[in-house]
Amino acid sequence: MQAEVASLENLSADLRLIRFKPLDKPQFPAASAGAHVVLALRAEQGTWRNPYSLTSRPGARHEYSIIVRRAGASRGGSAYIHDRLKKGQVVSLGGPNNLFWPATTARKHLMLAGGIGVTPFLSYLAAFAETGSAYELHLRCRGAEEAAFANLLFPWRHAHVHPTGRSSGFDAPKILSRQKLGTHLYLCGPDSFMAQMASAARSLGWPSSRIHQEFFGAPASGQPFRAVLARAGLTLHIGADQSLLDALEQAGIDAPCLCRGGACGQCKLPVLQGEPDHRDHFLTPQERARGDAIMTCVSRARSGELVLDI
Amino acid sequence: MQQGIKSRPIYSRLRVDPAGSRHLAVSDQCPFPRAAFETPLDDLEFWVVSSKSVEGNAVFPEATGLLAALEARLLRETAGLRLYAVGTESFIWDAANTARRVGMAEDEVFLAQAGSLHRRIYCTHCKTMIENVNTNLTPCLGCGATLFVRDHFSRRLAAFMGIQADAEEPGILPPLQTLYP
Repeated sequence: MQAEVASLENLSADLRLIRFKPLDKPQFPAASAGAHVVLALRAEQGTWRNPYSLTSRPGARHEYSIIVRRAGASRGGSAYIHDRLKKGQVVSLGGPNNLFWPATTARKHLMLAGGIGVTPFLSYLAAFAETGSAYELHLRCRGAEEAAFANLLFPWRHAHVHPTGRSSGFDAPKILSRQKLGTHLYLCGPDSFMAQMASAARSLGWPSSRIHQEFFGAPASGQPFRAVLARAGLTLHIGADQSLLDALEQAGIDAPCLCRGGACGQCKLPVLQGEPDHRDHFLTPQERARGDAIMTCVSRARSGELVLDI
Repeated sequence: MQQGIKSRPIYSRLRVDPAGSRHLAVSDQCPFPRAAFETPLDDLEFWVVSSKSVEGNAVFPEATGLLAALEARLLRETAGLRLYAVGTESFIWDAANTARRVGMAEDEVFLAQAGSLHRRIYCTHCKTMIENVNTNLTPCLGCGATLFVRDHFSRRLAAFMGIQADAEEPGILPPLQTLYP
């Protein structure tokens, strides 16, 4: 669907809040807490498609908002949003989809966020306020972004911001060990942050069904490689900072995808030849070892060439 | 008689979950049916139902008292606890439902059947529960209907469904059999 940039607001040097209003329809579809949209931006270098959590109130239909952090090593999408996106500009939005919803049976919701990973929780907090659900949120962030995040979380009594590099009372094992049975844990942030938190929770006996993780983040770059599309009869050259999915889309191939973060499994394609470099969170270790499938949104190639059944 | 019910719970021998940090095992029997486990039972806390006191266990005179204490305990507990319920099918599902009410997930609660196969019957006509049924037919203590005991088990109600046995031809009943010792 088409949307117009209604406003742009810099929350800090690297955080930008963007509000959209619907353009080709009177209203946006109602999104649930934790939902994301895929923002497509066209520039001369190509099209970027990046998933962003909606930070607008769940169910809001006249406005969607997202917060974008300028990525250090960016494929270009976040730099474009920070430097070139203008008020009134028309963009296309895919979705909304939700792969990270809060558990309705939880007695309490514990959210641990690393930096910009707080975005899905902004919609959670609004939903919990409506249902009166018990919650607790801890955000670990850089000192430079403390003020911006503290402002965003100001309305929520049980949300705490802990800047790194200062003794700030962020003690994950302590927070995790005092939670009552029936509490669900949600993690969103850099992979290393989530891995650390999930491992702290598991070592305290948290069962996997009560640990939820949102895998987002731009696909990491790597060596360039070739993808031979067996059915389409095409050979694509995937650049170091380009994802296989981006390359497929730019070649006009109707490739499946949904989360664009290696989590949902929608973009899986059969591999006929070559060795994939698996970077997803979806395939089992056995499936990885077989090497006959690849998640195009994040994974790359160990061999110089992959032959794909598409 | 095979009734072709495919949804009945199937139980296997229990293992103490190594991912848990504390373990509570409850039973409506005494002594605790340790054979339900295939792993060693070190560091487990045992709760049983008995009229006599038993060393090393928390003893409750009635299953209802145990379940009430269980709910109070679970409400105070923190993440890391695993619950094991061993005993009659109605008791273990009562315990599972108590755990579910406090928000425990399926991978924190483990069930195994032990002891009597007597059934708790739910009258589908008047919603009365009839305890300790061991025959294929039972009178309903609520509406008086003669109920046929089905293999259809409700996990939510922790009971088997009982339906009027002579609904088609009043007074015509199958022969009475003892099926659930």
